[in-house]
Amino acid sequence: MEVQLLDIRKHFGPIKANDGISLSVPAGTIQGILGENGAGKSTLMKILSGFQPADNGSILLDGREVAMKSPADALRLGVGMLHQDPLDFPAMRVADNLLIGAPGGIRLHRSQLRASLAEHARSVGLALDLKADVSSLTVSERQQVELMRLLWLGARVLILDEPTTGISAAQKAELFSTLRRLAERGKTVIFVSHKLEEIQELCTRVAVLKQGRLVGEATPPYSVRQLVNMIFEREVTPGARAACAPGGPILKLSSLAVERGRIRLEGLDLEVRETETIGLAGMEGSGQSLLLKACAGLLPPVEGRVTMLGQELAGKPYHYFKRNGVAYVPAARLEEGLIAGLTLTDHFLLTQRKPGFFIDREKGRSIAQERIAEFNIRGTPSNTAESLSGGNQQRALLAIMKPEAKLMLLEHPTRGLDIESVIYVWRKLKERCNAGGAIIFSSSDLDELLRYSDRILVFFAGRVSTPLDADSTSVEELGRLIGGGSV
Amino acid sequence: MSDARTSHSTPTRLRSLLTGDAWINFGLQIGALILAFLLTSCILLVAGAPPFEAYKQVFLGAVGSVTSFSNVLVAWVPLLLAAAGVLVTFAAGLWNIGVEGQIVLGAVLTTWVLRLLQDTAISPVVIILLAILAGVVGGALWAVLAGVLKTFGGVNEIFGGLGLNFVATALTLWLIFGPWKRPGIGSMSGTEPFPERLGLPTMAGLRVSPWSLGLGILAVILVFVLLERTYFGLRLKAVGKNTRAAFLLGVPTWQYGLLAFLFCGGLAGLAGAIQVTSVYHRLIPAISSGYGFMGLMIGMLIAYRAIWVAPVALFFAALNIGSIQLPIVLKLDSTLSGVLQGALVLFVLLVEGARQRYMRRVRMRIAAPTTLEAPLSASGET
Amino acid sequence: MPISRFRRVLLCGTFAALILTVALLAAACGSTPEESTTSTTIAPSTTSTSTAATESTTTTAGQTSQEFVFGMLFVGPYNDHGWSQAHYEAGTYVESKLPGAKMIYVDKANTSDRPGTTPDQLAEDLVNQGAQMIFFTSDDMKDGAYAFARNHPNIPVVFASGDGAWKDGKDYQNLPNLSDVMGKMEYGKMIAGVAAALTTQTGKIGYLGPLINDETRRLAASVYLGAKYAWTELLKKNPADLKFTVNWIGFWFNIPGVTSDPTQVADNFYNQGFDVVVSGIDTTEALVEAGRLSEAGKKVWAIPYDYVGALDEAPTVALGVPYFNWGPAYLQYVTAAREGQWSSFWQWLAPDWTDINNPDTSIVGFKKGEGLSADASAKVDDFTKALAGGLNLWTGPLNLQDGAPYLKDGEVATDQQIWYLPQLLQGMEGQSVSE
Repeated sequence: MEVQLLDIRKHFGPIKANDGISLSVPAGTIQGILGENGAGKSTLMKILSGFQPADNGSILLDGREVAMKSPADALRLGVGMLHQDPLDFPAMRVADNLLIGAPGGIRLHRSQLRASLAEHARSVGLALDLKADVSSLTVSERQQVELMRLLWLGARVLILDEPTTGISAAQKAELFSTLRRLAERGKTVIFVSHKLEEIQELCTRVAVLKQGRLVGEATPPYSVRQLVNMIFEREVTPGARAACAPGGPILKLSSLAVERGRIRLEGLDLEVRETETIGLAGMEGSGQSLLLKACAGLLPPVEGRVTMLGQELAGKPYHYFKRNGVAYVPAARLEEGLIAGLTLTDHFLLTQRKPGFFIDREKGRSIAQERIAEFNIRGTPSNTAESLSGGNQQRALLAIMKPEAKLMLLEHPTRGLDIESVIYVWRKLKERCNAGGAIIFSSSDLDELLRYSDRILVFFAGRVSTPLDADSTSVEELGRLIGGGSV
Repeated sequence: MSDARTSHSTPTRLRSLLTGDAWINFGLQIGALILAFLLTSCILLVAGAPPFEAYKQVFLGAVGSVTSFSNVLVAWVPLLLAAAGVLVTFAAGLWNIGVEGQIVLGAVLTTWVLRLLQDTAISPVVIILLAILAGVVGGALWAVLAGVLKTFGGVNEIFGGLGLNFVATALTLWLIFGPWKRPGIGSMSGTEPFPERLGLPTMAGLRVSPWSLGLGILAVILVFVLLERTYFGLRLKAVGKNTRAAFLLGVPTWQYGLLAFLFCGGLAGLAGAIQVTSVYHRLIPAISSGYGFMGLMIGMLIAYRAIWVAPVALFFAALNIGSIQLPIVLKLDSTLSGVLQGALVLFVLLVEGARQRYMRRVRMRIAAPTTLEAPLSASGET
Repeated sequence: MPISRFRRVLLCGTFAALILTVALLAAACGSTPEESTTSTTIAPSTTSTSTAATESTTTTAGQTSQEFVFGMLFVGPYNDHGWSQAHYEAGTYVESKLPGAKMIYVDKANTSDRPGTTPDQLAEDLVNQGAQMIFFTSDDMKDGAYAFARNHPNIPVVFASGDGAWKDGKDYQNLPNLSDVMGKMEYGKMIAGVAAALTTQTGKIGYLGPLINDETRRLAASVYLGAKYAWTELLKKNPADLKFTVNWIGFWFNIPGVTSDPTQVADNFYNQGFDVVVSGIDTTEALVEAGRLSEAGKKVWAIPYDYVGALDEAPTVALGVPYFNWGPAYLQYVTAAREGQWSSFWQWLAPDWTDINNPDTSIVGFKKGEGLSADASAKVDDFTKALAGGLNLWTGPLNLQDGAPYLKDGEVATDQQIWYLPQLLQGMEGQSVSE
C-alpha cells in the first residue's frame, strides 16, 4: 500500500510538533524516519496511525484520501502501529491475545480462529507458539505477536516506533529479517529510529525530521556524514566559544569500568580540571549517561577509581558525592530533576544549605524571588514545577543546583530549549565554571558540543574515544566519529 | 520582571482557575456531596425508608443533645488521630493500610502497661501517662515494621500492612482469650475492665474526656504544622510526589519513608491508647472500631490537605454516632452511614478524576504541553 | 489572590466555629451539670416535652392510656432465632398486654457489629428517643449496664442474666435502680440432657458452648446431669460409656474472624461420632448443621436453645428446645416501672411447674421436637413431672472436673453453689476455664 502524507501540521500551543510535513512512501519499501528526540517523529506516526488528529494536511492511502479518527479506524484502513512497549495483556495466552482485536460477536470460536491464525502465521513466516503465555515471552517475541495481530487484522502498512529498544542483537537481527520478508510481500514498513546504524542496515529509504520539518531524504548507499549533518544542523549560530584556562584537577577517573544493561564502558581514564568543560558526544544510548551517572555516584563502578579533589569516592552513595561537591542534573527535568506539584519556592527551600526545623515562608519567598530574577525564570515563586515551560524548568534546575558544587554533571542541558534559553543557560553554566568549577555534559547537538566544550569524548556503542580537543575538531569530523568512524 | 508579570497574568489566572485552586474545586466537591446524598437517598427509597426523615434522625442523633454531641466527640478523637496520621504517610506517597493494626497494637501495649501497674502504688496519673506513651510506642513500632518490610524486604506497604493488621488482630484475640482473660471467664468480649481511676477523667456527666480531646486537636495541629511549616514536611512531600527527584535533590528518601511510618504509627497508637483509657477501659477484639480504615477514607476525601482533617473527621464521627438512630426509629441498618461515607469518597474521587481529565484537554488547547515532547528549539516559552 | 484569601478565611472560620462549639459545650457542662443529668433522666410520670417533640405523636394519638416507652438492647440480631429474639418477643408480649407500652430497641449491640459504641451509650440513645426504662439483655453488656445505672439513677434498669443486684451474690453493686432477672434454665437444660441421652446411639453427646463463665458452666453441667441421669437411671447403662464433651466458641454467637465458627464446631462433633449436639449459644448453627447432615443420610440430632421458635430451623432432627419466656416477667417489670413502683431486686425464676410451657406464667420451658421418639418423649414427660415433684439432680455426691469434691453425699446445692459453679463437673470433657 502506498502512503502519502501531504502538509501535515500539528501544534501543541505555540510548539510546532509537525510543521508541514509531506512524505510519500511507495508500497513494499522499508521507510526509515530519522531524527533526534523531539524532532516530531512520534507525533507524525501518531497522526498516521489514528492516535491523534492532525491540525492540517491529508493522508492518502493508495492515492485515496482517508480520515482516521481512531487507531481502530486506521487499522480498518490497513495502517497498524507497533508501539515502543507492545500493548498486550500479559496474563493471557498468545492466541487469546490475538483474538482480542478480532471482529465478531461475543462468542469465541476458539479452535476455528486458532487454526486460521496458525495458517496466517505460517504464510508470513512467523513462528509463534500460540499456546504460550504472553507473560513468558521476551520483548521481541511480544513484538512478533503484536505484528502478527496487526497483520491478521489486515494491516498493510506497519509502523514501528523505536522497536529495537530493549532487545538483544540477535533478536534485532530476527526482527529485521521479518520486516524484510514482509516488505518483499508488498507490505509497507515505516521504521522510526534515532539510531543511524539501524536505518543504514534496514531501510530502503530514509526521511530525516528536524524541528517538526522534513529536512531531507536519502536512499542507499547512505552517506553517514550527510545524515548526521541533516540531523544536527543548526540554523542559528550563537556567539563564539569562550575558552577558559584550565586550573587544578577536580575529578580523576582511572581505569573505570561501568556497566548497565547491554552497555559496558571499560578502561576509562580522564582528568577534569578547574574551569574545564568536557562534552560527551554520540548517538543516544551509547554510554554517555553511564559515565555521567558513575561520576555522580548513581552507578557504582564495576572497577576503577573515581577521585574527586583528591578523595576517593567510588562505591560511596550518591548523597556522599553530592556533599563533596558533585551536582547532577538529569535530562528528564520533570521526571527526575524537579518535583511536579511543588512550587519553585518549595524547590529552593528543599535544596537550602542549612535548613532549620521550621520553614520561614517569607524568607523562602524572597530567596525564590532572588533566584528567579538571577536565572531569569519566567514564573512566580508559587508556580509549580510542571506549570513552567521546558526552558524555564531547565533554568530552575540550574537555579537549585548547589552554588558550591565543583563538578557539574549535565545530561542534555539544553534539549528542547529555544535558542535564547540555550545561550542563557550556557552563560550561567560558564560563569560557575569560570569561578572554579568543571562541567561534564552530554548533548546531541554537535554545534553545542564544539562551542562549549574544551574537550570532547565520542561514544559509539560503548566505546569511548580519546579526548578530542574541541578547537581542532570540526562538525564533520565529529559526525564521522559518532557514526562509528575511527579517530 | 514587571513585564514578565503582565504578560503572564491572564494565563496564570486561567490556569489557577483550572487547577481548581478555588471556586471550581469547591463547587465540584459540593457537587460530589450532593451526588453522594442522592445515591444514598436512592438506596433508602429502595429500602422503603423516607430519606429526609433518615437524615433528620442522623442529624438529631449526632447533635440533638449535649450527650449525643459529646459521643460524637468521643468518636472524633481517634478518627482525628488516625486521619492525621495517614496524612503523614500519604504525604510521603505511602498507603499505610496497616493503620488499623497500629491502633490495635497501641491499645495492646496500653493495656499491657495498665495491667502491669494497676496493682502497684504508683500514682494513677503516672500509670496513665506511661500507658499512653506505651501505646504511642506500640503503634509506631508496628508501623515501622511495615516500613522496614517495604524498604528492606521489598514488600509493598499495602500488603505488608494488611498482613500486620491480621497479625495484630490475632494477637489481640489470643491475649483476650488466653493470658489476659477475665478470672474464671473465657470470652471474646474483652479483658477485665480497669478501675475508674485508670481512665482519663471525663467531663461531668459526659463520656468525652477533655484530655483525649486535647490530644486529638493537638495532634492535628502538629500534623498541620509539620506538613505545612517544616522542612521535614516539605521533604516528605517531595518524596511522596517524586521519589527519584527527591533523592537526586538530596533527600534521604527511604529514611523519610520510615519516619512517616513512625509518625503515623505513633498517632494511631495514641488512638488505640485513648480507646483503652477513655472509651472501653479494657481491651476488646474490635478495639480499633474501624477508625483506621475510616481515617484512610478521610485522607482520600480531603485530598491529603491537613486543614480539612478536623471538620471532615467530625462529619464522619457524627454520621457514625447519629446513624444509631436509624435502627431505633426507622428499623434501618445503621451501616447506612458507611454507605454514605463510601459514596462520598467515591464521588469526590470520581469528580476529581473527571476534572483533571477535562483540565488536561483544556490546558492542551491554551498552553504548551510541558510534559509532552517539546521539539528542538521551538519557541515554546509561554 | 483574593480567591485564595477568601478560602483561607473560610477555613479559619470553620475551624474557629468548631473550637467555639467545643468551648461552649465545655462551658455548658461546667456551669450547669444538673441540667444535663435531668435532661437525660426522665422520670416515668413526666414525659419531657423534648421527647414528645421527637417522638411522632400520631402513633399514640388513638390510644387512651398513658404511653410508656421501654428500651431494649439486644446483643445479636432481633431475629436470631435464639437468645435475642426471645427477648424481642418478650418486648412485643409486653406491648400487647400493656396498653400504651411501647418498645424501642437497638439490636446487634456489640462492639463488632457497632464499632465505637458502648452499651451505656446505646442505652442513652434509647433514652433520647424517649425510653423511660432500659433492658440490658446480655451478659456482654454487664459493665455498660452498671455504668448506665450508676449515671442515670432515676431510670429503671433491668439486666437479664446478671447478679449485680443480688445482695448475697459476689458482684453486688448496690444500685437502687438496677434489677436482675434470670430464669432457672438449669431445669430446661436438664430436660434437654435427658432427651439427648435417650436419643444418642453412639453414647457421645456434644455441647456447643458459647464463652466460658459461671452461667455457661452451670448450664452445660445441667445438661450433663440430665444426660447422666437418663443414661444410668432410665436406660440403666454403664456411666463410663457416656461421653459428654464441651467445646466453646468464645462468644455468644459467631463473630467471623474472632470466635470459632459454630458451624465448624458442630460439624466436627458430628464427624467424630457425636450424634447429638446440644447448643448453648445464642444462635441455631448446631440444629441447621444437623438438618443438613441428616438430609445427607446421617443419623444426627440437635437441641437448640433460648427461643421457642428455634425448632423450625430443622424440625425433624430437633429433639426439643429449652427456651426462655421472658414476657410475663417483663410485663411485671414494665408495669412496676410505669407505676413508679420500681425497686432493686434480683430474681432467679423457676418455671411454672403446673405447666412449664404456659406462655403467661412460666419463664422457662421445654418444647419437644419431632426428632424425639415416642418412647423418649414419654420418658421426658415423666422426668419433667419428677422435677416438678422435687427431683433435684444438683445433689451430692458430685465432684468438680478436677476431682475436687463439690457436693458431699446427699448435700443439695445452694443457689450460690449453682450460680457460681467454678468448674465443669467430673465426667464432662472440655475446658472449665480458658487456657
